[in-house]
Amino acid sequence: MTPAQTDSIDSLAAALQQTGYFADRRLATAVFLSLKLQRPLLLEGEPGVGKTELAKALAAALARPLIRLQCYDGLELREALYEWNYAAQLLHMRAKEGSADSAQIEREVYQERYLIHRPLLQALQTPAPGAVLLIDEVDRADEPFEAFLLEYLGEYQVSIPELGTIRASAPPVTLLTSNRTRELNDAVKRRCLYHWLDYPGRERELAIVQAQVPQARAELSQQVADFVARLRSAPFAGAFNRAPGIAESVEWAKALVALDTLTLDPEVVSDTAGILFKQREDVAALTRDFAAELLAPVEADSTPG
Amino acid sequence: MQLGDARHGKLADNLVGFSRALRRAGVPMDSARIALAGEAATWVGLARRDDLGAALEAVLVSREQDRAIFRELFDAFFRDPKVASKLLAQLLPSAEGRAEPSKRRPRVREALAPQTPPQAQRRPAEDQVDIDAVMTASSAQRLRHADFNALGIAEYRLVERLARDIPLPLPTLATRRTAPDCRGARAYWPGVMRRAAHTGGECLELPRLQRRREALPLLVLVDISGSMERYTRLLLAFLHAATRALRRREVFAFGTQLTDLTPAFAQGDTDAMLDAVNARIPDFAGGTRLGESLSSLRTAHARKLIGRRTLVLLISDGLDTGEPATLETELGWLRRHCRRLLWLNPLLRFDGYAPTARGAAVLHRQAHAMLAVHDLASLEQLAASIARLIRQP
Repeated sequence: MTPAQTDSIDSLAAALQQTGYFADRRLATAVFLSLKLQRPLLLEGEPGVGKTELAKALAAALARPLIRLQCYDGLELREALYEWNYAAQLLHMRAKEGSADSAQIEREVYQERYLIHRPLLQALQTPAPGAVLLIDEVDRADEPFEAFLLEYLGEYQVSIPELGTIRASAPPVTLLTSNRTRELNDAVKRRCLYHWLDYPGRERELAIVQAQVPQARAELSQQVADFVARLRSAPFAGAFNRAPGIAESVEWAKALVALDTLTLDPEVVSDTAGILFKQREDVAALTRDFAAELLAPVEADSTPG
Repeated sequence: MQLGDARHGKLADNLVGFSRALRRAGVPMDSARIALAGEAATWVGLARRDDLGAALEAVLVSREQDRAIFRELFDAFFRDPKVASKLLAQLLPSAEGRAEPSKRRPRVREALAPQTPPQAQRRPAEDQVDIDAVMTASSAQRLRHADFNALGIAEYRLVERLARDIPLPLPTLATRRTAPDCRGARAYWPGVMRRAAHTGGECLELPRLQRRREALPLLVLVDISGSMERYTRLLLAFLHAATRALRRREVFAFGTQLTDLTPAFAQGDTDAMLDAVNARIPDFAGGTRLGESLSSLRTAHARKLIGRRTLVLLISDGLDTGEPATLETELGWLRRHCRRLLWLNPLLRFDGYAPTARGAAVLHRQAHAMLAVHDLASLEQLAASIARLIRQP
């Protein structure tokens, strides 16, 4: 696949749309700047608003490989960057025992062939035009890991004590995502551009649902977009622990199609609440009466047209 | 940007002025960012105002809580060139003030307001505000709102400073992440290799990995009854900022009933948090029915007390209007199900204070300890006191 044109905000947004990702103009601007200024882009936002999807879409649009590092509590350098293949090194040492001096053995075992490349190193060594690197949920890793990222994000290079410095020939397009389970270090943020990804507006959500679930009837897609937008809107958002993300509304639309639903009614909404919400309290809160209340203005809007 | 573009010089000025206004409103800013903003502006061009806004936001903002401030300031600053130049003029000490008749938040209004000359006499006044703002009983007249209003720049700075200067490092427990250590259950292979290389492949000793430590989960229960109103807002703001980094933080308010403030605390901006708190609390400045509130905490949110590891901070003056017997039972349960139950009592500011009120007596009996939270000094001691109390068997 040939890389799409990305020399303007419009062409970038169009290229993303080709891959099925509907970016609003602010987001497209931030991504555009990240490409032009060669800076990592830090994406924050609620779960399910499409942070990870953006990286996938960008990789597809730019025709570059996507390398993903999923961060988690306890993530260490050897899982993120590189690790020596200790077993192979020990075998090598045993094989050479007695036949060489220790300095030579040490030189031999710290060769690149004993190095296991983890995502960050892979991203540095991807040949031009480079990779799209997704450092996913960076807030789940801890502060020492962030401190390590400073050199990586600032210079696109890493130092391996036994081998020296490895510098990227083609810096990866880097996206970091965070659900804000904790505040990131200022120094990391200073190296990144920043974008807060909000829940999509109704129109964008409708476009996404229609693109992802083409088998849904137009009326149903509209109702899904309206209903979810209303769920997240100010008067109702407080009733739930967590508002559903885009991923949930797409899943919901798929489930409704599978259930042969033509239009939403309170019964079907409360029966399928488990797809929109992932917490027991929230599922229980979406009762039929409440669903009817949420559906009411949507029905009023759609009947005249 | 093209050569000979008359807007070029102005843009740089505008960007600098705009960045300074942002900084004044409490948005972290450094000169590298301002330079990058200029570069970003040349990439997106000046044809579309919303593109410029999005580009500057991507470069100049790095925290979710600053976005609202950024957008309000951007709208005010780049609305039209005349306004911008007037605002720029306002950055000079001598310029005439211009009222913004809008619903902007106080921080934006103050950031755009003309600067009064920095004279020597101004400093003590500012300091005085700082001290007053931390709940000394004296003047602090403007802080005596019965409502959680938005913070002004001075208060916002104060809260940010308090959270920075008076951190609340909570006691820790072992996590899954490891670090090299002489003790521990897992072998540290890079260390093994490095040593083995020196001894021809023989492993003479086994370096190990030890678990690292992480802060205890925190559960904050805040009294929002009428008698507490003067303290609550700033204490909430302080706790919001000081415990931002904690991964497990639950906050509940109790007055006549229990309100979950955790979603409000998830807001980045302290003003937005106070707004959300305002919207959530139906019974602000009413009475206190602590026993009943704790009872609903037990029935609905018992799981928040993660395996008895949680540190519970109960902020109240103990002036309870509920049933003492219920309070006794519920506090007993809470005490048994958490790591430490600490009572933060603002009334400790009075010399010779004794917990004689009915509710206070029960609290005094059941809580592991009582700590003061009425001024800067007591807040500074808070972390140390908590650490000491956790260590006690």
